[in-house]
Amino acid sequence: MSAEPFFISLQQKFTAQMVHLNTLDAAVGDGDHGSTMLRGLSKAVAAGDTRRAKAFMRASGGASGTLFGLLLIEIERHLDTGAALDSGLSAACTRICDLGEVKVGDKSMVDALAPAVEALTADNLSAAISAAAAGRDSTRALVARRGRSQYVEDGGKGHIDPGAVSVVIFLETLAETIASRAEARS
Amino acid sequence: MKKLFNTAETMVDDMLDGFVSAYPQVKRGVNDSRVIVRDSNVKSADDKVTLLIGNGSGHEPIAMGFVGQGILDANVVGDVFAAPSADLILDGIAEVSGAAGSILLISQHSGDMINGRGAVMMAQDEGINVIALPMYDDISAAPPERKKDRRGAAGTMFIYKILGAAAEQGRSQSELFALGESARDRIVTLAAAVSPGVSPLTGLPMFTLPDDEIFLGMGVHGEPGVGRVKVGPVSELVAEMIDKLLADRPIASGGRACVIINGMGGTTMMELLTIWTETRARLAKDCIRAIAPMIGSFVTTQEMGGFSISLIDPTDDMLALWCAPSDTPSFPKITQLEKALSS
Repeated sequence: MSAEPFFISLQQKFTAQMVHLNTLDAAVGDGDHGSTMLRGLSKAVAAGDTRRAKAFMRASGGASGTLFGLLLIEIERHLDTGAALDSGLSAACTRICDLGEVKVGDKSMVDALAPAVEALTADNLSAAISAAAAGRDSTRALVARRGRSQYVEDGGKGHIDPGAVSVVIFLETLAETIASRAEARS
Repeated sequence: MKKLFNTAETMVDDMLDGFVSAYPQVKRGVNDSRVIVRDSNVKSADDKVTLLIGNGSGHEPIAMGFVGQGILDANVVGDVFAAPSADLILDGIAEVSGAAGSILLISQHSGDMINGRGAVMMAQDEGINVIALPMYDDISAAPPERKKDRRGAAGTMFIYKILGAAAEQGRSQSELFALGESARDRIVTLAAAVSPGVSPLTGLPMFTLPDDEIFLGMGVHGEPGVGRVKVGPVSELVAEMIDKLLADRPIASGGRACVIINGMGGTTMMELLTIWTETRARLAKDCIRAIAPMIGSFVTTQEMGGFSISLIDPTDDMLALWCAPSDTPSFPKITQLEKALSS
């Protein structure tokens, strides 16, 4: 199976959300999160199977390209080969925390990803999505400790983290992709 | 500022076209044109550990100029002043990896560390035997008790050369890694900037500095360091820098140090040789012999004016490896020759 429908759908969502994500990022970073993600996703859609997350990394560039790319690699592998999603996302989360030197509570993508990994059961993404959304919303009250947002006023307190928003979109899109596959089979 | 480029989009590849066509020791990678690989006297990667590094471009000749026999097997070339992406570094690792294993050297800067270590994780997932060796030597970036937070600077060239020569001898991946860590512990670097480089992307100076001031400890992209000092005689500046280097990592009286005097792009050989003279004299005051120097502009930031002094207090093994022959486009011949101070 190909991960192409997932990346097409993700690209559509980020096209719609790009300005919103850039606006969120402008409050805590350099205001390009939506554009950067969309640039990577456009290349991922154009790339061949098994090369999509890597194409995302190359095109979005920077450290965020690598960190979100490591998450997309696991999703792509699951959709391509049926590799277990729970252990894949768990490994990606561990690596993102390690490389980015972040943990839960630092106001980052990990605040959405870590609780999602915790809540994920083999075949049920909805609990993971709810946990990710709650984690995303929790970033509003948090003060950033890593990345550019640590240098903005009050560490970005009062603003939601755009990376956490993106993680929720990834998971929602993944659930939709899996559901439409099941529908096509029945 | 006038710069001689075609377009921003093609400047890196235009440079690489020139590089691989000018030097017999190198070629472009088979799977990725942004990977420069060794093309002379290549040994099987099943027998020899391969060494590679990724870095942003704009700092030439480092690191592509050190690809060849006795130093690096590959260099992964990013965009101007931008760390190469993890998948690009992965392509570089895949290009040179074999049964003997590989070591990815990483000059410690945030983007290089995240992308380099991410690439190593992805390579390991694919069954490739590769490990990462972070390199750091800039004493102005963190105090000795937080050595691991320091950034990579020109002293990392000691590690390239020492590991490269040792890999050529057929030493194992674990031996090389331990040797690299041991060398890293013995290296200190401090830089002094006098004028900014101009970004080829923006055409603008990368920082500003008054005419009568020198910035001590500034990083290669203009990152802050120790602070500003007034311009005075070069002998005083060098003495102050050596004081700081020896305070950070003392070398015993009667000892020796290999020295790198690295120009940042806009400082002349005339000045660099003067700096070497002063370095040698200041070390002699503490009865430390300055030996086997490497002098020239190797880690540059366009036409940035300034230099760095790097010292390593080498073991006999490290000294022999530092002076071992190599054949790359840009690494100079290092000789162990020790001259009396009066000559």
